[in-house]
Amino acid sequence: MKLFLYFSQTISLDVLDGKGRWVGRLFDMGMNPYSDIYPKATELIIRRSSWEYARIKWEDIVYIEHEVRLKVTVDQIVFSRETPKCDFTLRRDILDQQVVDTDDQRVVRVNDIYLLRVENQLYAANVDVGLRGIIRRLGWTAVIDFLVSLFNPKSSYLSHDELIPWKATQVLPKLGRMKSLLKLDVSKSKLNSIPPAAMADIIQDLDIFVRVSLFKSLDGVLQNKVFTDMTLAHKQELIDQLEEREVADLITNIPADEATDLLMQLPRDKSRHLLGLLGSETNKKLRKLLSFAKDSAGGLMTTEYLYLKATATVAEGLKKIHDNINFPGTIFFLYVVDDNYKYLGTTSLRRFFNEDPQKLLLETCYPENIHVYTDDTVEQVALLLERHKSSSIPVLNDQDILQGIITIDDVLEVLISLVWHKYEEKL
Amino acid sequence: MFLGMLGPGIITGSVDNDAGGITTYSVAAANYGYPILWVLLPSFIALLVVQEMNMRMGACTGKGLADLIRENFGVKITFWIFLGLLVADIGNTATEFAGVAGSMNVFGISKYVSVPLVAMAVWILVTKGNYKISERIFLLFSVCLLSYVVSALYAHPDWRQVGSAFIQPQIQYNKEYLVMVLGIIGTTIAPWMQFYMQSAVIEKGTTMEDYKFALADVVIGCVATVAVALFIMVACASTLHANHVTINEAKDAALALKPFAGALASAVFAFGLFVASVFSAIILPLATAFYVCEAFGFNAGIDKRVEEAPQFYTLFAAIMIIACGIILIPGAPLIQITLWTQDINAMLLPVVLISMQLMVNNPEIMGEHVNNKLQNAISWTTTIVLIIMTVLLFILPALDFFKSH
Repeated sequence: MKLFLYFSQTISLDVLDGKGRWVGRLFDMGMNPYSDIYPKATELIIRRSSWEYARIKWEDIVYIEHEVRLKVTVDQIVFSRETPKCDFTLRRDILDQQVVDTDDQRVVRVNDIYLLRVENQLYAANVDVGLRGIIRRLGWTAVIDFLVSLFNPKSSYLSHDELIPWKATQVLPKLGRMKSLLKLDVSKSKLNSIPPAAMADIIQDLDIFVRVSLFKSLDGVLQNKVFTDMTLAHKQELIDQLEEREVADLITNIPADEATDLLMQLPRDKSRHLLGLLGSETNKKLRKLLSFAKDSAGGLMTTEYLYLKATATVAEGLKKIHDNINFPGTIFFLYVVDDNYKYLGTTSLRRFFNEDPQKLLLETCYPENIHVYTDDTVEQVALLLERHKSSSIPVLNDQDILQGIITIDDVLEVLISLVWHKYEEKL
Repeated sequence: MFLGMLGPGIITGSVDNDAGGITTYSVAAANYGYPILWVLLPSFIALLVVQEMNMRMGACTGKGLADLIRENFGVKITFWIFLGLLVADIGNTATEFAGVAGSMNVFGISKYVSVPLVAMAVWILVTKGNYKISERIFLLFSVCLLSYVVSALYAHPDWRQVGSAFIQPQIQYNKEYLVMVLGIIGTTIAPWMQFYMQSAVIEKGTTMEDYKFALADVVIGCVATVAVALFIMVACASTLHANHVTINEAKDAALALKPFAGALASAVFAFGLFVASVFSAIILPLATAFYVCEAFGFNAGIDKRVEEAPQFYTLFAAIMIIACGIILIPGAPLIQITLWTQDINAMLLPVVLISMQLMVNNPEIMGEHVNNKLQNAISWTTTIVLIIMTVLLFILPALDFFKSH
């Protein structure tokens, strides 16, 4: 008895009843995805002709080898015109479908499934996504192996199956079915191990409907991070498919500068409509950011920064950071302003962390006063950041009132697209 | 909103009028004159039905045709379909380069210069270019197709005869005529187009909510395709057929136009052929490499680097090299290659159409958007008629063979 078998090799096996009479051929295998670490086979679907299907419970099977032997007799089996309804089957839901490989963080297509046999039970242990799987399905393994070994006996093709363990395989929702809880439960554990940036890449590789349902299955915090990491075009496509309330939540929870970029990209009436759905505070914040030219310092800046009054001490600074540990913007820099929000100076965690708690924060500020104005260009911002080896810079209006800050990643984003633009023009 | 949805149908339609198409249209019109124009009407209906299904499948599932075939019919069927598609598209690409060679020949440029130059330009555009540049080039291309309108007008056609060809079609019952009719319909509905159309719909992000706009786009695309075909045929029918000039290639048409419609009409015709060939020479190898990779789960796309998508770039390069190689062989049987390619296309078409019919009627795939009775009546009729015609195309030469022995 073989310890493992490939699902593709069990398809079309003859199914014989208790008296050895032919019943049909194996067509599909129903699984229980919740059973153990690996989904356990719970029933067989057999096919006698293209309009006669039947389901066989696992207890009614004697063995699955070169043929399938049943305990029951053929007249005890009820055939129906359509394939029996199962929640989760290998042929319909896994074989030939796209899945996410959560270890390597990529979308792959399943060529075969590797079944493990333990005490007469079958478990889906790995999925095969390699070339060998395709060749096996075509029935050419012997020929191709011979040819390859003839030319290159050491080829990795011969010994190397590209298998993904089930625990790293995320099944994707299929249209019209499997929208059940199964997806959500399974997805939470497996997908949450993927870093948001990689997740954004994966989501962009999928087709739009799978993209939406996968995105919806993520939890709120991950949703915000993944959404932030997506390209603008993909963001737009995604929000077209989400409900207005969901879009409003997303826009409220992603960094304000990202939200502004997105809103600027949308048609005017649409972005107005979206703004109307937001809470008054977010609305006000975004409207202000939207009023600046796109590539000016005002357009680049975010209004998410931590500031304190001139009277604040080092202890209060530490407390401020402590209280805002989940703050969406940077928490390493604190900005000191006077009672009229006029900018006084910038200090960093590094500069005051070990200082006397009673000392005024203002005294720990950087000696040189670096800042930009809202209508400065991105080049000026970049030059200043580079000259002072700084990773963020405050943005003031013409009355020196602190408006927001620009962090280096926002500048990089613009510069990278500028470089690309120049590169394109050269072509 | 509507302008936003405009695109896939029109692009597919324009790519459809490629070197092979122009050749077939001009040869048919030169040989049979106005009376064969009626064929464009059934071509239009078949094209519309098939493209609407592709659009609906794309909008409903968000998946490409290659994906759907793989997911619903398994590896074996997918493998053979795509092997066929690959071979046919190498042939199709060769036909496009033949178009490049032919049209440049009209301007006195040797194929040993024009083909490698165009191939290199295509390679650079695909590997180094981006969507924006491609889009601009595409727009330019679409405008260039209008050159056939110019050619047709210079040929001073008899519009009354053109009209009566549609109202009172005169059908001949002999083998050559039937082959010509099949050729016209076949070149209008090529298998690779179905894959291309559906991908374009997905790329556009069309969903069932946009169905009305997308349908309008499909209709406009089909009208544009057939209109361009009509002008090509009118240009050839009113000059070449009227003066009993028969031709074998599209470039012959361009050359033959000169004495009857003037040097400008001839040059414009050749220019149209050149642009159409180049454009399809960009789209075809790229699209083919993309579908094959899609179906077998390899990384694909021009936004990926060569190391990231080795199979994709290998396929693309192989198609280009083989296609150009065939054309550059001195004394290559170009017309024969075109015919073989048409045969493979014809064999593939029923398989692709039946797969599409099965999927578009499967509620597990399409949900509530499966074909309704009317749609099924039209689409099955189209499919079956196309299959019968294809079978005829193969049986007829065989019958001939037996008769002569």
